[in-house]
Amino acid sequence: MEFIAANMAPIMFASLVIFLLLGYPVAFALAANGIFFGLIGIELGLLEPSLFQALPERLWGVMSNDTLLAVPFFTFMGLILERSGMAEDLLDTIGQLFGPLRGGLAFAVIFVGALLAATTGVVAASVISMGLISLPIMLRYGYDRRMASGVIAASGTLAQIIPPSLVLIIMADQLGKSVGDMYAGAFIPGIVLASLYALYTIGVAMFKPAWCPALPPEARKLREPSGSSGAPSVGVLFSFATAFAILFDRFYYVPKYPEAMLDERLVLAAGAGAVFALAAALINRTLKLGLLSKLAEQVVFVLIPPLGLIFLVLGTIFLGWATPTEGGAMGAAGALLMAVARRRLSIKLMRQAMDTTAKLSTFVVFILIGARVFSLTFYGVDGHKWVEHLLLDLPGGQVGFLIVVNILVFLLAFFLDFFELAFIVVPLLGPVAEKLGIDLIWFGVLLGVNMQTSFMHPPFGFALFYLRSVAPVREYIDKITQKRTAPVTTGQIYWGAIPFVCIQLVMVALLIAFPQMSLVYKSGQPELDTSKVKIELPTDQAPPDTADDILKDLQKGGGETKGEAPTDAPGSDKGKSAEDKAAEDIEKALKGGK
Amino acid sequence: MHAFLKVSRLIDRMSEFLGRWVAWLVLAAVLLSAGNAIVRKVFNTSSNAMLELQWYFFSAIFLLCAGYTLLRNEHVRIDVVTGRFSARTQTWIDVLGTIFFLIPIVCIFIYLSWPVFVRTYTHGEISTNAGGLLIWPARVLVPIGFTFLLLQGISELIKRIAFLAGAGPDPVARHDVHAAEKELAEEIRRMAEEKK
Repeated sequence: MEFIAANMAPIMFASLVIFLLLGYPVAFALAANGIFFGLIGIELGLLEPSLFQALPERLWGVMSNDTLLAVPFFTFMGLILERSGMAEDLLDTIGQLFGPLRGGLAFAVIFVGALLAATTGVVAASVISMGLISLPIMLRYGYDRRMASGVIAASGTLAQIIPPSLVLIIMADQLGKSVGDMYAGAFIPGIVLASLYALYTIGVAMFKPAWCPALPPEARKLREPSGSSGAPSVGVLFSFATAFAILFDRFYYVPKYPEAMLDERLVLAAGAGAVFALAAALINRTLKLGLLSKLAEQVVFVLIPPLGLIFLVLGTIFLGWATPTEGGAMGAAGALLMAVARRRLSIKLMRQAMDTTAKLSTFVVFILIGARVFSLTFYGVDGHKWVEHLLLDLPGGQVGFLIVVNILVFLLAFFLDFFELAFIVVPLLGPVAEKLGIDLIWFGVLLGVNMQTSFMHPPFGFALFYLRSVAPVREYIDKITQKRTAPVTTGQIYWGAIPFVCIQLVMVALLIAFPQMSLVYKSGQPELDTSKVKIELPTDQAPPDTADDILKDLQKGGGETKGEAPTDAPGSDKGKSAEDKAAEDIEKALKGGK
Repeated sequence: MHAFLKVSRLIDRMSEFLGRWVAWLVLAAVLLSAGNAIVRKVFNTSSNAMLELQWYFFSAIFLLCAGYTLLRNEHVRIDVVTGRFSARTQTWIDVLGTIFFLIPIVCIFIYLSWPVFVRTYTHGEISTNAGGLLIWPARVLVPIGFTFLLLQGISELIKRIAFLAGAGPDPVARHDVHAAEKELAEEIRRMAEEKK
């Protein structure tokens, strides 16, 4: 008995592992573990008998959590988009644009992958689209099968790390940081990662040209009557649009609003450039001026919908017009409009999307509820101190901690999926990281990049699975060349993923070495915009919430609640002053933010 | 057994019905939240009631769909180990898990959340935000949602025991985990064909 009392936290953790491996739904296994050990703790006198009275308030904290509301919004948006045909049009056209270059199709996949990732946060859809649209073309013209499948799976997982991803939202929530900051912190690492993929492709194109040949002339569909490709015209239009964006910024926007922030200026200048390009393409088409090539026109038309959505989601967040949650809703509404415009929206699709969204949100939130029940007991028996003790003693300070934690998370990601890691493991690591002086945004982005590998490593990686489900399994006759084409084997998909998993690990190392990539989010710090004001409310400004109060009373010896996972503060009945303050801040920011 | 299975079918139909209709709240929440942002930007005003209504909807979605999600077997599991076991063994795990994990937890939540609802209802408590909403409609979602979850748990239990006793089919479609992705792939393929 004494042994149990003294080692309650490790015993509880070990049995959690067993409970989870039983294969019963995670949410209930977690909660059962918490209740079971809570009862033992009460029996042993380690915990107060009224411990579980705190549960309703914990649940209330989850219910009133505004940040989590983004989960159904982005899910819904992704589901509508994946059937809207946008991704397919993009892949077609961008494939034509880059295809004539060696390695060009792989480039197109990376570019479109990054663009889709910035539109939405769902991995499955982009991998499936690329697997169906780009993979057959790559196979037709002789791409190496490993290279082709690796680049598709990897580009699909970019959705995990490039904002607005669900991973970043939940990471921000669990670490008690603002989603806006997390987005800003993930931006450069996301772009760097995509560039590393591109660099790898360049390397392959240079040293193994046979792996990624250029499209032969007969495969280039969008050509001028004269026979030229029309690509220079794209470059010209792009330069003009860029020039217009810069002029707009220098000579219109900045003189008018001298104190505008950099991100605001970037968003608006990019918007101006896009509008310019669209106007040029439209005028050229209607007046049949022939100044732009077909390819250039087509490129503009396919790029406008995703750029519009990116503006609706990220633009409104960075401009401070919407909170990240509302940005998700704007994106979802925009996706609906676009689907209507493309005549893709049906009542069936609508029902299907809502149904899937409801189920996904439910299971995600229930894992969180289970984790909250678990942590009630686990923190009650000082489990967080045990974890802290284990991790603080690691040699090597910050870097040692980061390396160990990243290896741990990398290994855990073989068995647990993102949501389980985020709700169970991250709240235990966050406070320790903070104690070591690690910036939590940096830490969150780092874990995000790391967890991205869980989609990619054989044999459980979901991206590989999705690709497997759409890649040809049997030998087939290609429709265009009439050649017998060999299937893509599962082994090829697995081997193809490995270089990209390595690139991701290199990225983790780079990010440990150069935290500045994430820390740029601080540069805009003094002028907090509304999104930041609103989202920080739950953690930084709220007075001790009811659950914590109760917990404090309950814990023997006045236990510490400081280390408590920071998530369940918002909107508790006592949150009044903080909410009012936030409302005022929003008012202020809106009036003065210009 | 027959009578029990009848009860189970009844519960399944109820969960299905509830899930189908509650899912519309997803659309409602999207429109409401986007509307909030637009109204704030364009008219420079915002309503706390509308902001709170967002998460009332959200809470209603996950609480009322908990049973439906269980029916569809979509609460995530870690099946790296047990996925290799026979269907019978997995069903045994589900039976024991439902009896020892799910049902006790759900009962505890119902037992603890009911008095909170009664308190907020009898006192007519209102959110402390200016112009905020009545609190009890959100509070009552907890006992209601968990009651539906409890019922669905019982239904799942009946189906699994029936399977173990040889009186029913295997209630879990084990090979259909990624049906949604396959369907999506099918649809995209069709769209691509149409275009050609």
